[in-house]
Amino acid sequence: MRCRKARLTIDAYVSGKIGPRDRVAIEEHLKACDGCRQAATVARRLVALGQALPMPPVPEGFAKRVMALARRRIARPAPAAPSWSLAAWWRMASAPIRAAAAAVLVIGLGTGALISWNTWQAPAAPPTQAASQTDPLASYNVDYLTDAPDGSLAQTYLALVSTPAQEGK
Amino acid sequence: MLAVAKGDLDAFDQIVLRHQELAWRIAFRFLGDRHEAEDVAQEAFLRILDAAPRYKPTAAFGTYLSRVVTRLCLDHAQKKRPLPADSLPAVQDVNPSAAERMAVQDRDRTIRAALDGLPPAQRMAVVLRYFEGLDCRSVASAMDTTVKAVERLLARARGTLQPLLAELSEK
Repeated sequence: MRCRKARLTIDAYVSGKIGPRDRVAIEEHLKACDGCRQAATVARRLVALGQALPMPPVPEGFAKRVMALARRRIARPAPAAPSWSLAAWWRMASAPIRAAAAAVLVIGLGTGALISWNTWQAPAAPPTQAASQTDPLASYNVDYLTDAPDGSLAQTYLALVSTPAQEGK
Repeated sequence: MLAVAKGDLDAFDQIVLRHQELAWRIAFRFLGDRHEAEDVAQEAFLRILDAAPRYKPTAAFGTYLSRVVTRLCLDHAQKKRPLPADSLPAVQDVNPSAAERMAVQDRDRTIRAALDGLPPAQRMAVVLRYFEGLDCRSVASAMDTTVKAVERLLARARGTLQPLLAELSEK
């Protein structure tokens, strides 16, 4: 058994709550390792200390005071708590759940930041000719006051719509 | 607790009487001050009363109570500085010699100061494991963490307390 495992097993060993195989392994280790033997000694001393330290009895009337407060609390209903709160969930969640939630948050924020960065870094597309001109009609050189240029589509159109309809022909 | 959830205060009274010592011991061992320990222990029972409608008997009540008291103690420690060692209770008079009484009081103050110097999580692990005699699994349940995390906390606490304990054992 290595020191790392021994140090983590010492409490179970000192309190006698260890399987036979682990007991043999840790006892073998303690014979050879001064550091771990010292840690086991510290653990035993702490147990002895706990028994030796003064422990005053429960204060007189403790239960009566609790019950008086309890009756007052029952008589005065507490304001309705929100059905769910993030803080309450965080407190009640186990350590693995909290770790998973934190990881999801970090990954989400990181992904968002990466996308924003890439978007900001991407070079702007060159403006098209049409986009660069503010007046779209200007791109067609439409001039309402002069005749349409010869041979232009506009001239042809105007010629068509101006020709009077000939009956039967 | 199921009766308490239905509003039976007599049942709650029985719960308080049966478990008050557990709450008191954990709070006092951790905080070292009678008044603060009583406040925390009282608050633990009142929180349990408030939560009675939502209580589910998934573990022994003692485990549940330990968890509530532990959480309140750790919250308290976050808000407050460690107490001066003068707040230790009077030592039981087992020896008529005044010098011996003084020596025991000095020892207890030293231990209290060393405990108060530990980070709250390590201190709580020491209190629950070595002073209350809970096994690591029960300590982990009370502290709402894993057994490995408790073992690491205890290993660090032992490292910090080792010089003091060596000194005390020499005396």
